[in-house]
Amino acid sequence: MKPVSRIGAGGDSPPASTERSLVELRSISKTFGATRALDGVSFNIGKDETLGFVGANGAGKSTLIKILSGIYRQSSGEVLIGGETKTISSPTDARSMGIATVHQNIDDAVVFGMTVAENLLLDEIATSTSEVFMNQRLILKRARSVQEKLQLELPLTAPVEALSASGRQEVAIARALVGNAKLLILDEPTSTLSAREAEKLFEAVQDLRRRGITVLYVSHRMSEIKMLCDRTVVLRNGRIVSEQVAPLDTRKIASAILGELVLSTKHKSRMGDKPVFVGKGLRARSESAPAELEFRRGEVVGLTGLVGAGKTELLEQICGRRPLEAGDMRLHEKDYAPRDAAAAIAQGVVMVPEERSLQAIFPGESLWQHCTVGMMAFFSRLGFMIQRKETAYARDVIRDFRVVCSAAEVPIEDLSGGNQQKLLVGRWLKNDWSLVVLDEPFRGIDIGARAIISRALREYSKHAAVVVCSSDPEEVVEVADRVLIMVEGRVRHGGRADELTSEELSEIMSQTAYHEAHDGREVTLQ
Amino acid sequence: MTEQNIQHQMDAAGAAGFPRALERTKELIYKYGLLVVLAAMIAYFSYAQPFFGTFLNAMFILQAASIVAVIGLGCTVSMTVGGFDLSVGSAMSLAVMASAGAMVMFNLSGPAAIFVGLSCGLAVGLFNTFLIVVARIPDLVATLATLFLVNGMTLLGVGGQSVAEGMSVDGVAATGKFSPVFKWLGSGSLLGIHASVVVAGLVFVFVFVLLNYTRWGRAFYAVGGNPIAAAAAGIRVARCRMAAYIISGCLAAIAGMMLAARSNRGDVNVGDAYLLHAVSAALVGFAVLGANRPNALGTLTGAVFVAALINGLTMFNFPYYAQTFVQGLLLVVALLMSYMLGPKKRG
Repeated sequence: MKPVSRIGAGGDSPPASTERSLVELRSISKTFGATRALDGVSFNIGKDETLGFVGANGAGKSTLIKILSGIYRQSSGEVLIGGETKTISSPTDARSMGIATVHQNIDDAVVFGMTVAENLLLDEIATSTSEVFMNQRLILKRARSVQEKLQLELPLTAPVEALSASGRQEVAIARALVGNAKLLILDEPTSTLSAREAEKLFEAVQDLRRRGITVLYVSHRMSEIKMLCDRTVVLRNGRIVSEQVAPLDTRKIASAILGELVLSTKHKSRMGDKPVFVGKGLRARSESAPAELEFRRGEVVGLTGLVGAGKTELLEQICGRRPLEAGDMRLHEKDYAPRDAAAAIAQGVVMVPEERSLQAIFPGESLWQHCTVGMMAFFSRLGFMIQRKETAYARDVIRDFRVVCSAAEVPIEDLSGGNQQKLLVGRWLKNDWSLVVLDEPFRGIDIGARAIISRALREYSKHAAVVVCSSDPEEVVEVADRVLIMVEGRVRHGGRADELTSEELSEIMSQTAYHEAHDGREVTLQ
Repeated sequence: MTEQNIQHQMDAAGAAGFPRALERTKELIYKYGLLVVLAAMIAYFSYAQPFFGTFLNAMFILQAASIVAVIGLGCTVSMTVGGFDLSVGSAMSLAVMASAGAMVMFNLSGPAAIFVGLSCGLAVGLFNTFLIVVARIPDLVATLATLFLVNGMTLLGVGGQSVAEGMSVDGVAATGKFSPVFKWLGSGSLLGIHASVVVAGLVFVFVFVLLNYTRWGRAFYAVGGNPIAAAAAGIRVARCRMAAYIISGCLAAIAGMMLAARSNRGDVNVGDAYLLHAVSAALVGFAVLGANRPNALGTLTGAVFVAALINGLTMFNFPYYAQTFVQGLLLVVALLMSYMLGPKKRG
């Protein structure tokens, strides 16, 4: 068994002085129009270290990664590599300077239909200086030499799609390292891996560290950061708010990520009355801890936790959008096992999905069509749509939710994000359902829209169970009566929303992660 | 999110920079351009060749358009679910041979032959459904395979020969005849309107109402627009796809029987030529009234447009071999209209 935990390894973490630093960022700022994504970010990435890079959604992590990997140019500030100021103007540029990035979506980094060997040499094949004729033998020979250099063992002749997710990731990492990378950026590498596959990745990262490759490790999972990283930088609202050296204190990291939360409820928490939904032994993912859930009429339940905690996975199972991993569900004391979203809706369970444009928007279709698409049976007789009824309903939604638009007939793309969301939430709330689930309903929308939706949800919860999920605890506390906190697949009960404090919240988020890092790992790493 | 905002701002700035009148004109052309061209063409032809504008010639044109319109409407339905049915031509051939064969070789009655023909369309639709929905083969690829398979099956079934009254089957002349009921489809008339025009009209009304006024039509468009969002809204996507391909197959079969009834015979692979005409009618239809998507009225207009154009040009002794070019020109213009002048869709 390899020693995986880095706890107590603080002694050999290098000091982050300029001479020892590989990449130095000096007051990097990036603006998009009026939005300031990064605001004077300065930090060093030292030689041979594994640096954790954390922050909540929208903190600016991906913007910084894109600057380092040559996709964006910073608006101001400079990047020093090996002590010299450099301009990274393209991804190829970044690679030639020794910065390699493996993005979150593994399948974007490998080309399906090609062998592992071809994937390893993709950058070489793609450059114009390579030979025109490349046969399999030559490719295999080169791939072998690359493999030897990187000390890897990959099934070179296998098609890349035949590999598991972690296998493909290994190929992606190897590919990134082919060009003598000095800095490897891993952007949320475990987000698409199972627990077992993640273990392999951790070993790979530790191996890289031993071989002197600097890693910038981006993750939302506290246990990974604690286990792997020598040092951690926390980004919040485009600024560095905390830097810590191992042994890392996850509690401090968690509170730095969350910031000074304003957990203010303008209402007194209600406790609900009749249980509407009861779930026993539900699991976010097959390896997650089982959860017991109860959603009652007369309360809004807030579900929060960092990105990747498994909130969406859990909720989608409840709403029939994902096969049930494990456990039993009951709705109004009757067995409830929807086989798809249509079945869930028929039984009174509706969901407002997380990704608006991907999961809820029909390009070019009008507002009124969006209003009724999930409940067309209500607006038709013998299969014929009663358009008059539909437009009347849409006008009601538009009026009650103050959707700013010129008419119900305009295509939905004409609306701003907040107005789209008001419409997409409002369309459900003008009907009777048993359980309404909203996944990240406040993402990317303005305060006005948020207030209107929150108020409507609290009103609606008087006769139905409502669940609001968000990775931002402030959003959840503002609307919820009861808060559930999810940490790495586990559901923790946070109790009444009006009694929750930010200290308590970061305590729950970090403590659980800490235990996970101890107990969980030891068991799975046999 | 921020990138989108920037894009929005840029779009807005660009639009404001153009003179408003130009924008209006663009929109008018986008919506009514094709219809205006059609009207102008009809007016000119009628003025230059008085016979063109007569009721009789109008019937000729509609009759010529009817078969293409019926298959094209089938294609339209498959397009609404985001699919594409290349097998309509082969389904048509199969229905031609099966219905003609049923009467000539097996002495079946007219209604029975029609039933046989429709069953062929249904079978092709179900087979496409199996390939696309169950086996998850991409639409184009799957229906291309069906095209060859069904054509091949038709050829095998009739031993490569045409089906006509008095044909020889195993050395003996077949005694079966085309039934009058069946023939009516090709040569009969109702209230002075040619039967094939009546059938095409009924098919058009069916598809138009289905797509525009029913739940299922709405669901079809939703599936075609965003299958993930459709499933999330509780639409059974697989079922919609199945229904669309079955409708497409059955309409192709109806078109096949119209053709068999008109020519009183069944020739192998007769449907092949109709595939591309039908698809182009459906695509020309994108530009009608700024729909920018498959729609029943557009497909009908597309089919009639081509028929009227060819009819008129023939009157002016335009060489027959130039027809294809003219048709291509029409398709390009229509596509340019819907894709360049229309609102830009995201993605």
